[in-house]
Amino acid sequence: MVTSVTSFGRSGLYDWLIQRVGGVVMAAYLIFIVGYLASNPDLTYEQWQTLFGQLWVRVFSFLTLVSFIAHAWIGLWAVLTDYLTVRLMGDKATVLRIIAQTVLGGVAVTYLIWGIEIIWGLK
Amino acid sequence: MLDSSLDSQESFAAVRDAANNPVWKFILWAVLSALAYHTIMGIRHLLMDCGIGESLKGGKSGATIALILAIISIALIGVWVW
Repeated sequence: MVTSVTSFGRSGLYDWLIQRVGGVVMAAYLIFIVGYLASNPDLTYEQWQTLFGQLWVRVFSFLTLVSFIAHAWIGLWAVLTDYLTVRLMGDKATVLRIIAQTVLGGVAVTYLIWGIEIIWGLK
Repeated sequence: MLDSSLDSQESFAAVRDAANNPVWKFILWAVLSALAYHTIMGIRHLLMDCGIGESLKGGKSGATIALILAIISIALIGVWVW
């Protein structure tokens, strides 16, 4: 079996599961945030800060961020390996795809560190 | 946005007031609509992973239901943004 070095979980089965678990986590977070905003139409800064001051909200937010990064990596890996191919792009396809994935990796790391700073950097 | 909204009282107000700008409203609506569409189609995908609506007929009606739900959500997001 050939393992792809650029996929997220290094195997299709891992990617398949991570993609779905991450999706469920994000859907749950979306329901939570929409529900919170809908029940607090005149949201104040104090309420908002209290919400994100709670440990479970921070953990949930962080979990969603990690899910988002993994989900985006797996999803875009599927798109990039489908379209940035030698058949569609010619000889430079692999170089192009590696550049695209490196940029994607850079964005992912940036989001992760930035997200941690926002979520845990609260006073 | 999350950073500014949690940073201070002033930056929270700045994020809230930015929503008065029509261009900003449109961008917000477009991004949230894409998210809603992707989420609904994703849930449909998960249901089909569980074997629900996997027949040709089920697939067609599932697509129709998902599309209608997406259109309703996108309209509701528009109401919320404007």
